[in-house]
This record gives sequence, C-alpha cells and structure tokens, in this order.
Amino acid sequence: MFEEERLQKAHDGDLKAIEEICSLTWESLYRFIYYKVQNRQEAEDITQETYVKALSYLQRHNVKIEKHISFLKTTALNILRDKWRKKKHRGINLTLEEINPIETAVDDTTEVNAQRAIIQDAMNSLNEEQRTVIELRILKGYSTYETAKIMNKKEGTVRVLQYRALQNLAEILKSND
Amino acid sequence: MENIKKRLSDYIDRLNEEKKPQAHGNHTETSEMEELMNTVRKIRSLKEPTLPEADYPEKLAESVAKQLSAKSTVKKIKRTLITATAAVAAVVVLVFTLSSILYPRNTDIVYAMEQAFQEVKAYHGIIEIVESNSEGKETTQAIREVWADKEGKYYVKELEGSQSGLITANNGEKKWQQRPDEKQVFVFPAFPDPYQFSFELGKEINNVKNATEINTIGEDIVSNRAVKILEVTPKGGQPYRIWVDKESKLPLKRECAMLNSIQYTTTYTSIYYCDALPEELLAYCIPEGFEEINKNPEQLVNNIEELKELTGFTPRIPVGIHESFKRDSISLANSMKTVKLNYTSQDKHNRVIVLQGKTEGELIPATTAVLGTVNGNVAEIQSPVQRDYGILSGGGVYSGVTDISSIRWQEDNFEFAVVGNVSLESLVSFAEKLADGPVVIPAGDENSSNKPQIEVPVDLEIEENEQMSVDAGHSPWKLDPTYVAQVFVSLKISPEGIQGDYPVQYEDINLVKNDGVNAVLELSKDTTIVRRVYLKRLIRQDNTGIWTVVGYDPVSS
Repeated sequence: MFEEERLQKAHDGDLKAIEEICSLTWESLYRFIYYKVQNRQEAEDITQETYVKALSYLQRHNVKIEKHISFLKTTALNILRDKWRKKKHRGINLTLEEINPIETAVDDTTEVNAQRAIIQDAMNSLNEEQRTVIELRILKGYSTYETAKIMNKKEGTVRVLQYRALQNLAEILKSND
Repeated sequence: MENIKKRLSDYIDRLNEEKKPQAHGNHTETSEMEELMNTVRKIRSLKEPTLPEADYPEKLAESVAKQLSAKSTVKKIKRTLITATAAVAAVVVLVFTLSSILYPRNTDIVYAMEQAFQEVKAYHGIIEIVESNSEGKETTQAIREVWADKEGKYYVKELEGSQSGLITANNGEKKWQQRPDEKQVFVFPAFPDPYQFSFELGKEINNVKNATEINTIGEDIVSNRAVKILEVTPKGGQPYRIWVDKESKLPLKRECAMLNSIQYTTTYTSIYYCDALPEELLAYCIPEGFEEINKNPEQLVNNIEELKELTGFTPRIPVGIHESFKRDSISLANSMKTVKLNYTSQDKHNRVIVLQGKTEGELIPATTAVLGTVNGNVAEIQSPVQRDYGILSGGGVYSGVTDISSIRWQEDNFEFAVVGNVSLESLVSFAEKLADGPVVIPAGDENSSNKPQIEVPVDLEIEENEQMSVDAGHSPWKLDPTYVAQVFVSLKISPEGIQGDYPVQYEDINLVKNDGVNAVLELSKDTTIVRRVYLKRLIRQDNTGIWTVVGYDPVSS
C-alpha cells in the first residue's frame, strides 16, 4: 500500500517518492501492458502514461488505495481502450469500481496458463506448413525472406500461408471465447 | 486481398522489431484486419515479453516526475489565480514579472529545438486542427496522420474532416494524391513540391528561428508531455504561441493569433520519431478501381546524346559545379520542349533543376521579381518563386513553394533557368557555371539613391495594420508592386474612386528596378500625370512584405 504522504509527494513530482513507487510496481505493470500491445516501444510509453494518470487521479481524489497494482492496470486498460477504440478521443474515465479482476489478472498464473493452453491447442490444429510459418514468423521472429529460405518457398507464398493460418486461428480462438 | 496479406506481414515485422505498429491507434483498419492483428498478438503472447533496458525504471521515474511536477505547477498557478480574484491586477503584474525573471527572453530554446531536430531522421504523428471563435466555441477541422523525413519524403492521410481519406505522398521520385471520392490518383513531379502539411516540424522551427521575439511564458501538459509555452512574435506579424516538449525539445502544439474572430490550434496528439518511413507507404501504386491522372508527364533520357537527338539542339551543361551536387537524372518536359537536368545534394536535402529550351518570345520578368543580370543579360531573380513565367511554366509547379528560388534569363535565342531549394548564392553559382559569365544581383538598399521628385507621405501605423491584414489573406495585390502602382496611378486619375476598369492597364506598367526592398515602375503611356512610381517594402523586407508608394515623378519631368 502507498501511504498518502508518499502519493502526495509523488504527485508533486518528488523523484524519490516516484522512484519508490515505480521500482515496486513497474515490471508487473509493464508485463501486463506488453501482453496487450506485444511491442516494447508502445509498452514503455503506455507504462509511463499510466503512472502519470494514475498518480494524478489518486492524489486528486485523495484516495487511499490498497489494490494499487490492479488500479494501475485498470488505468492502463483505459488508456489502451481510449487509444484503440474507433470513436474520437474523449478522455479517460477512471473509477475504482471499474476494476475488472478477470481482465487485470493476466499475471495470475492459472489464468495465463489456461489462455496459453487454448492458443497452443489452436496452433496444433493447423496443418504443418501453416504451423511452421506461424512459429517462424511470430514466435521466432524471422522475416518473410528468412522464413521463405528456411521453408524453401517464395516470400509471396509465405505471406499467403501466414494469412490463411491466422484466419484459421482467429476462427478457432473466436469459438473458444 | 494482396494488400491485406502485405499489411498483415508488415504488422508482424513491426512487432518483431519491438516497435509500435502504425495500426495501433490508427482507427482505419477493417474488422477483418483488426481480428487478424488481435490473433497475432495472442499468438505472440506465448513468448516471454521483451523487457526494457536495465536503466528503464530510473528513466521512467524521472519522466513521470517531470510530467507530474509540470502538472502540479500549472495547477498551483491556476489555484492562485482563482482564489485571488480580488487582486487580479496584482497577480497579473506578479505573473508577468515572474515570467520575465523565470523565463527570460532567450534564444537557447531555439538552439535546443534546432539541435533536437537535427537528430530526428523521420517522424510519425497524428495532427488535430481545431478552429475556435471569439466566443470560445471549438470545432475540429481535421485530423490527419503524417509521416515525414528529412529528405522531403512524406505521407499524409486525412483521417477526419472534409477531405477524409485523401492521401498525399512524395517518395522523392514521384508525388501523388489519392482522392477516394473521385477514384483518381493524381501524379506530379517529386520536386519542386508546393504542398506542405500544416505544422511540419522543420518549417515550424525555422519560423521560430526567424522571429523577432521569443518569450517563454509558462508550462503545460500537451498529449501527456510536459511542455514549455513560447510566445513567438514574427517579423511584422501578430504573436502566436507554441508548446515545446521539454524532453524532446520539439514543438507539439501551435496556437495562431486570432484573426477575424477565428483562431486555429494545431496539435500533435501523438508523435514518435523513427529512422525511416515505412516502405509500403512510399510505394506508388494505383488501388483497384482508381484511375491515374498525369497532366505533365516527363520523359527520362539516358544521356546527352539521346537528348540531342530528341530536341535537335545541344544543351548546355554547367561545368565545375560544387562536388556536393551530383546530376541524378535528365528529362524532357513540356511536350519535349524543355530540357531538365536534375541535381541532388549528397545528403539528398537539396535539389537544383537546370531548365533550358528555345526562346518563345522576349523575357518578361515577373513584376514581383528582383531584376539582375546574367552574363550581361537581364535576369529575373525570384526568392522564393512567385510566378511561373517563360520556361518555368513548363517545368513543374514552382511558384508558391516557400523555399524554392530561381534565376531566369535569355541568351543566344535560348531561355535558361536554375531553380532549387538552396541558397541564392548556390543558385548563382549554378547560373554562372551554366552561362559562363557573372551573375549580378542588386543589393536591397534601405537608403536607395533613387529619389522621387514628389514624395508621398506614409503613415507607418496604417501600413502595419495593412501588413497584418495581408498576412491574414486579405488584399494580396499589395504584395505585387505593379498592382500597387496601378491602383496609385488610377486614383491619381480618378481621386473619387475607381469604377469599372482601371484607367491604367497592368500591362502598361513596366518594372524598371526591384531589389527586393525598393521598386521603381514606369508608365509606358501618357494617359496620366505620373511617369514613374517609387515603392518600398516598409514593414517587412521579404516576399511577404507589402509594397507602399513612397513617391512619384510627374510626366512633365
């Protein structure tokens, strides 16, 4: 729990207080955001934005917050929703009641493991070529050129395989939702 | 269909590079693409996340502290202002005094902006343009996505507003505009390019650099970034404000001065800096169902020999030009009548085009141009180019591009021009190498020796107001010395006001001298009491400065 005094100091820009809060929570928050955006650049930016918004909110509403990690994650989710939703930017509404334990519990081992199993199952249902292309391109991070070389195919073929594999996966995962 | 496969592949590449894909936050994807991207992210979540550098927690805390500190300061100032309403005047004085002490007028911030921009290779941002009236009512005029690099390449897509869906791009080889409503793609030469999107960072910093006064007046938060607010007073113009990111030292927001009860605020709601523009955005392609429109096609020519065969004459080649410039292509434009030699600097920032063709009449210089000589021949010198006369008219769209200058002259039955986004000195060097003779540009002389016989009194306050009015887009004729002279002489003939046609025709007024500051015009017909009109740029001595009549010579003399 962050005591009120530290939050006040943090809100006023006190570096020491902010360092303390960040050092205790950043990795869990960063992992949560990375899980959603899947790239480091965006995860770093949104982590920073989350602290600024959350600390401002906590001080403004004079809130004693006990479930601070959940609150940070909810703030991050709201930021993401706001950035990604199709409607025009309208600002972020933060309420503690909105904290959704399911959504914010992705670092809960059981939940993560269940999701991993569903995705892994979906992968296994692909044919061999499609599974290989997904493993090489997405999990191992090879370029289409490198993937084409490894699979002895043309780059265009790799893109087609990848597209069809993802279409199949989307269908399977949708039916599991 | 091909397009979606390619975009999906690019999306995966971007995530593999650990960079934010363009599609995140770009609300223009189809639901199919959204679903596929979501699936990619789910699959990718099987991997361990890539963690930041070891010093990230410290950097994070520092950045958060800076932003919160700035927010806190702004709030405290606001609170003070609200509770001290009884002492408003005192507070204003205090804030003003504090501002002067805390944020003295200095050019450090301009230097910092220039240095920061030097480090930028390319950037990607979302720009929002909001119009507000004197009653404070705000309307979003446009939201556009921009990608731009330092070589002049860009990709601009209108996301919201009256031109939603319009794409304008320049990849250095070709410029095109994709108009979804008309299902047409218009193609233009890549250079020169009159298009500039509002709030282009390089141009913005340049404007601040050339301002007469810059003051830091406060701090704020823009797009979640801590910023400094600068009040910038341009030469002879009204002050406006820009918000500069404290960390990146680059502008994020600009608020123009209120003109005619309308004010525009332009903001980068998001911006990030990158090494290069995505290749797929700069790849020219005609979408299915679209038609290509190319009104000024150019034919590329391999060598000078081929050029001779096609044109029937041997073009002049500038010899001994500076080694930093290399000729990268030769082309024929204007129905094969104009030869274009295209030169590019090594860093690809600057281009010079040498134009030549057979003369099609005598050289009539643009009335807004400075008159000089090239190898003893009268030369039209425009910096920037404002009129596309003679050979300039067949080479591309040169006028209206603020950083393009030109020198045009005739010699041995040929017309030549050198045009480029370089300094006038560099252009002179090209012209000298082409003409094999000296180029003379008259110096803008504040104390010109040309004195009128009859002086016309001038009220500087009125002229300053006129300048502001012209800056706001009114009476553009005041930027053309011939028009100003025409109106002056016409009013001499009809002091009660001009009704119908002007009693003196525009074509009957000849430019005798124009050095950029002083101009002398002569009337070729004796239909008036005036023989010569003397004008001066009193408020601002560049192409945006208005001309004012300061005297005249009567016909009898």
